[in-house]
Amino acid sequence: MVRILNILAIAALIGSAIYAYTIKYETIFHAETIVKLQHEIKREQDEIGMLRAEWAHVTRPERIQALADKFLGLQMIALNQIVRVDALPDKAPRVDAIGRKLEALGLGEPTNTPANGSVFDPAASSTPAR
Amino acid sequence: MNDGFDAGLETLKNKANDAPVRPAGSRARVFKTLFTGIFAAKPGKSAVRIRLAAFVFLAVYGIIAAKLIELGLRPDPPQSVKRAAADAVAAARPDILDRNGEILATDVKVMSVFAEPRRIIDRDEAVELLTAVLPDVDARELRERLGSRKGFVWVKRAITPKQQQEVYRLGLPGVGFLAENKRVYPNGPVAAHVLGFASLDGIGMSGLEKYIDGQGLAELHGAGFNLTPETLKPITTSLDLKATYAVRDELAKGIAKFKAKAGAAAILDVNTGEVVAMASLPDFDPNTPPDPRDLNYINRLSVGVYEMGSTFKAISIAMALDLGKVTLRSRIDARESLRYGHFTIHDFHATHRVLSVPEVFVHSSNIGAARMALMVGVEGHKAFLRKLGQLTRLRTELPESAEPLVPKNWGELNTMTIAFGQGLNVAPLQAMMAVGALVNGGILVTPTFLKRSEEDAKKDAPRVIKPETSEALRYLMRLNAEIGTAKIANIQGYFVGGKTGTADKIIHGHYSKDKVFTTFMAILPSDKPKYLYLTLLDEPQGLPENGGYHTAAYNAGEVAGKIIERTGPLLGLAPRPDLPTLPFPLLAKLGYAEANQPARGGGEH
Repeated sequence: MVRILNILAIAALIGSAIYAYTIKYETIFHAETIVKLQHEIKREQDEIGMLRAEWAHVTRPERIQALADKFLGLQMIALNQIVRVDALPDKAPRVDAIGRKLEALGLGEPTNTPANGSVFDPAASSTPAR
Repeated sequence: MNDGFDAGLETLKNKANDAPVRPAGSRARVFKTLFTGIFAAKPGKSAVRIRLAAFVFLAVYGIIAAKLIELGLRPDPPQSVKRAAADAVAAARPDILDRNGEILATDVKVMSVFAEPRRIIDRDEAVELLTAVLPDVDARELRERLGSRKGFVWVKRAITPKQQQEVYRLGLPGVGFLAENKRVYPNGPVAAHVLGFASLDGIGMSGLEKYIDGQGLAELHGAGFNLTPETLKPITTSLDLKATYAVRDELAKGIAKFKAKAGAAAILDVNTGEVVAMASLPDFDPNTPPDPRDLNYINRLSVGVYEMGSTFKAISIAMALDLGKVTLRSRIDARESLRYGHFTIHDFHATHRVLSVPEVFVHSSNIGAARMALMVGVEGHKAFLRKLGQLTRLRTELPESAEPLVPKNWGELNTMTIAFGQGLNVAPLQAMMAVGALVNGGILVTPTFLKRSEEDAKKDAPRVIKPETSEALRYLMRLNAEIGTAKIANIQGYFVGGKTGTADKIIHGHYSKDKVFTTFMAILPSDKPKYLYLTLLDEPQGLPENGGYHTAAYNAGEVAGKIIERTGPLLGLAPRPDLPTLPFPLLAKLGYAEANQPARGGGEH
């Protein structure tokens, strides 16, 4: 009885030791991962900072203006080119020029296509040819 | 880690010695009594001995456990090099943004080479190899530094990745790298005077950079807080980057065109007091800051003090109107030059007739302004200028500021000359603050370089003139842009109002005839001013196409017009194709119907 108990106790001891060590090594592993990730995050953040600075540097108005002068050939905006939306003229009525032309040519009428046979398709008559 | 652990053992030993079981006497005796006590075959005493032994073990283990807990709770002690470097590495600083979130100043990480002189084996070899890779390091100076007894010295700050690789390949013991923060200003000289610059160690030396340190950043660093750029809140300034660039660009063109010595321009939001754009030329690139003692690079808007010339007439007329000494209909005698003792006050554009108050402003009559100031008197004049903040130093976020030059014995003659802008030197930003108050409805808002809302700005701002007076001033400035000296800046669509100022410069104690300091103040739109524009040029030359005139209208006025045209759309001001129908309702109510009619005619500058 005592022997079994002893064996059990030793097994429990070994088991718990193994378990404890597993936990320990896992913890170390996770801690290392955390440090690694933190380093990576830091590096990324530094890189973002660098890129932000670079972006600000390459989009600085001085450079953009020089480039625009060189390549775009735009002129300075005049104040009379800025108008309010309600100062714009009304939209012209929509004209379907192609449809009218087809109608004038007499193509607007319904036709009997051979595939449909003699069946009359009402949808075809309501929409002019596009 | 090692030294920490050693220290721990040391304390452990000490504590063991202090253990309560220790009787008086040497260690050997203690052990002897313990041993003889425990191992002697005296059964009667064994229970006591066992208890004693158990107690000793318990105490020892207790101490070990306590020490373990203490070690566990204590954070890792920093490595020795890191500790030395923490003081040396440039501190992180918050980003500085413009009002739309564009970056004006930010930190980037750079690598710096350091050395630990004590660990360097062959100093001469190290110097030779390092200077071969880093050619701009002075060999003799480096040898001296490496010979010092310090634990830590910089070899070179902010090296390129390629240089880092090369230094790394040298494989020198005692030489290493540290990541540092380096302050960069991506926009170069744009807004340089507002930003100022920070030193290599991350300490603000001027401008907003110095202001930030004053706000507690330096204390935080000093207290050892490890601040990273991510934990620092960015500072949002009142500046608009694009407008600031446009202002600087136009100003630079103007200075080149009129061959001026220097110049400055600024846009002030009159309701919030925010400086939306400013430039002072010549300026500098904060990435490579100049010698701060070089006066050529001062901020001419806040550090330079100047006689503002005729722009001060706006203040004089506002004073006379506000105190009820004159009304817009009053007539001022300007038929003859004004004599005072040996002095005679002339008009530059002499009209030799009795002028109405608007005419005094439009013709920029020195005599008229002087007479109006005399109506108020010396004390009243002083009090009014003090109320407008013209006699005391203007303090903004920028640490650089200047005291106005106020005459010591202020007599009637001083009042007369100051009325038209001579004899009192103020910082241009200070004058802008006053004119802003004259046109924004009468509230004196202190200029700021940080973003601020109108409510915040007007919370503690004192009222300095009545709303009616403010509207009268707006009318006068508008009138001046329609028919007076400010015509050149009357940009169609913005309902601009303006005032020119030309002050003769004092050379060797006398007013010079050919050296002038010209200013131009413009408000827009005049019916409900949002922005106040200031342009000033130092010693502009007359151009042949202007008939050789170098008065403000021909140079500062033209530059201001260009700046308004260019920055108006940038600042989101919609141009109005038609003139407002009732721009000055208060004046109409007071019976000045003519104020709301567009004025015609006039033509002289």
